Amino acid sequence: MQDTGKNIIIAGLGGQGILLFSNLLSKYYMNLGYELKISDVIGLGQRGGGVESHFRYSKNPVLSPFIKAGDVDFLLSFEQTETLRYLHCLKEDGVVFSSTFELATSSVNTRLEKDMPESKTELIKQSGKKTFIINPDENKSSEFDISKMMNIVMLAFYAEFRAYSHDDMIQIVKENVPEKFVAGNLKAYEKGISIARAQLGELVNNY
Amino acid sequence: MTGVIFNMKTEKKIAVMKMMNGNEAVARGAFEAGVKVASGFPGTPSTEVMDYTQHRYPGIYCEWSTNEKVGLEVAIGASFAGYRSMAIMKTVGLHVAADALGGAAGSQINGGLVLVVGDDVGRIAGDDYNDVRHYGNMFNIPVLEPSDSQEAKDLMIKAFEISEEYSTPVILKITSVICKTTSRVIIDEDYTYEAKCRTKYPVSFSKVIMTTMMMNAKGSEHPKLTKCFNDFPAHMKRLAEDSNTFEINKLELKDKKIGVITAGTPYFYVTEVLPEASILKLGLVMPLPEKMIRELAKHVDKLYVIEDGHDIMEKNIKDLGISVIGKDLFPKFPEMMRFTPDIIEEKLVPNAPKRTLMDGIPFRLPVSCAGCSHLFISQILRKNKIKAAADVTCGLIGCFPHMESYSLQKCMGSSIALAHGYNVATDHKEKFVAMIGDGGFWATGINGLMNLIFNDSQSTVIIVDNSCLAMTGGQSVASSEFGFNYKPENKLEIAKVCEAIGVKDIVTVDAYEYDNLEKTILTAVNANTNSVVIVKKPCVTKFKLPKSTPFYIDQDFCTKCRKCINIGCLAIESKKAKDGTVEIVINEDLCMGCGLCSTACKFEAIKS
Repeated sequence: MQDTGKNIIIAGLGGQGILLFSNLLSKYYMNLGYELKISDVIGLGQRGGGVESHFRYSKNPVLSPFIKAGDVDFLLSFEQTETLRYLHCLKEDGVVFSSTFELATSSVNTRLEKDMPESKTELIKQSGKKTFIINPDENKSSEFDISKMMNIVMLAFYAEFRAYSHDDMIQIVKENVPEKFVAGNLKAYEKGISIARAQLGELVNNY
Repeated sequence: MTGVIFNMKTEKKIAVMKMMNGNEAVARGAFEAGVKVASGFPGTPSTEVMDYTQHRYPGIYCEWSTNEKVGLEVAIGASFAGYRSMAIMKTVGLHVAADALGGAAGSQINGGLVLVVGDDVGRIAGDDYNDVRHYGNMFNIPVLEPSDSQEAKDLMIKAFEISEEYSTPVILKITSVICKTTSRVIIDEDYTYEAKCRTKYPVSFSKVIMTTMMMNAKGSEHPKLTKCFNDFPAHMKRLAEDSNTFEINKLELKDKKIGVITAGTPYFYVTEVLPEASILKLGLVMPLPEKMIRELAKHVDKLYVIEDGHDIMEKNIKDLGISVIGKDLFPKFPEMMRFTPDIIEEKLVPNAPKRTLMDGIPFRLPVSCAGCSHLFISQILRKNKIKAAADVTCGLIGCFPHMESYSLQKCMGSSIALAHGYNVATDHKEKFVAMIGDGGFWATGINGLMNLIFNDSQSTVIIVDNSCLAMTGGQSVASSEFGFNYKPENKLEIAKVCEAIGVKDIVTVDAYEYDNLEKTILTAVNANTNSVVIVKKPCVTKFKLPKSTPFYIDQDFCTKCRKCINIGCLAIESKKAKDGTVEIVINEDLCMGCGLCSTACKFEAIKS
């Protein structure tokens, strides 16, 4: 079945490499001849603020740079409070990929408001969507800093899920990441594949 | 990655397709328009227009000017010399440059003059409720608005053509959505850059001179008189008439039920949600193509205006005597809004599904980067209960309720004059302190300092010198040791300038020397004289400062008094531990090891 296009929201915090992630993924789809629109919504502040990237690829011209709530196929999130913010945007058969990383919000830290009583990971799992949870703490490695390279881990996980060519994706990483980070990023990519394979198992790829 | 377009007959490459965001595309448009001079001042979302121009097109002279007014004046001077020039700023910055724009509006234009102005619609980056199109109405000058990156490039070129043909400055309105959206742009890679010189007018005067000439020398044909006069109302009338045939304004007559007049990215929201609607899509949003609007109004039962920002097109259309539905159906909160496809669907598509956000997700207030020098100053001011004004700088984060370090904050460069005003009104009985960044100081704050001295004020000013304009991503300022036109001998020293202005007491301190910094600030505040404390520490994010050993909280000693959390550091969190109790912890990946938090802890729980 030919893939005519998908709508993806990539979410997380400033400093997590979300813009690099969407840039790398865009190169993959460009190579396959897709039309693309990628819209980044970046809040105030250099670090720690919410960042969302609306990523649309299609065989047809892409119109709106923003994806309507309810039209999102994949939610890729690097912070689990941010994951919760976009769950309602997913299609009925939408898929969630979420890191368990969590950075307490300034409002909770200073008791301007209470945190949610429930476990956020559980809330995501109970959303009724197909969900993949990636725990960076359980996947720490001496070969690369997962707190900095979760974007590449996620890229590999997504590529494995979509049954994309890892060779092509790795080539894109090599060409677009500063040379001194390439080795670490390739380790992160391998890790992402292995985490994905462990979770996906024999899952038949319908996407 | 690029796609290549070939001429089918000759098999010659004629164009390539590139992915560009709006800022990149505007820069490309400037290059293809043959721009010679680019000046301006950083401001989200349009800062990168300058960065891309400077980086990619070395033929174009680029400068970050000291502020937006200076930037626009540089562009106006270059335009009079005959060369196409652009001034780049955000709308809030155009408020600073408005006097310069008023001077240029209606005057004789030699080389095209285009203002690239970023509107932060929807406050995506936290900006104020501004809409640059008000300047179009106020000064009677044209405004163009692109819908995607391709148009951003194309309209940039069109803007220069309009500027020269109709002798007027032109505003290219770009929004936070346009600037940060990447889409395909077709470009001619073999394009040869050429900056042409066009000197049509020997003089160019503001409207004051022209209207005086018009009133006093009506009917005269003496060239000494006529050269001073430019019939600007006639130019704009002609542009309004011609705009009915401009290709950048597109009328798509389809369904007779619904018609929409729209511009910018909302055009694509409309085409996606209402594929059958008849649409007038404007590239030139000011002046309006009256004939096209009337044609659409005649064709449809109901006519809507869907515009980001204020209800400016709506009012201008209603002024033509044409009835349209705008903010009555799409209320603006409190006076403007950013459209989304969802909003249009909810109001205009019957039975549209409703989807709502999960309840109770905590919100994020902006937080300073871990290790930021502003955190040290905020902490010292709060701890010692010193009343202070903040400026527009990363330090303004100290105004938010999770920090509460400042009680007054307004616009860029304002804090020095604000503090002076407070001190004058209260007879200098309590010393109200001004905190300002190096960017705000050079932009307009320096005027406040000069004013403070010659009006005999005893105020204290803290200047946070982080060697760049940090908030917009680290652009150079007059005291930076880098920049497009940087030469070590031209670097301005804040301390020397303060001395020359006549400040009595000037001390420079390293932000990370906490005790010394606290003592210096207290001494300055308690002294009966005006003073400047310059707090030095390069921006941790821009200059990627090396980390020291991260600190951690020894839970056996922590009483959860939260004094450390009130510092406002990104790395300190209140988290649920595995047993369900709340713990205060330091995120070791984020911690810079600056040690500020350890100075706040009375229980010696924070350790290195």
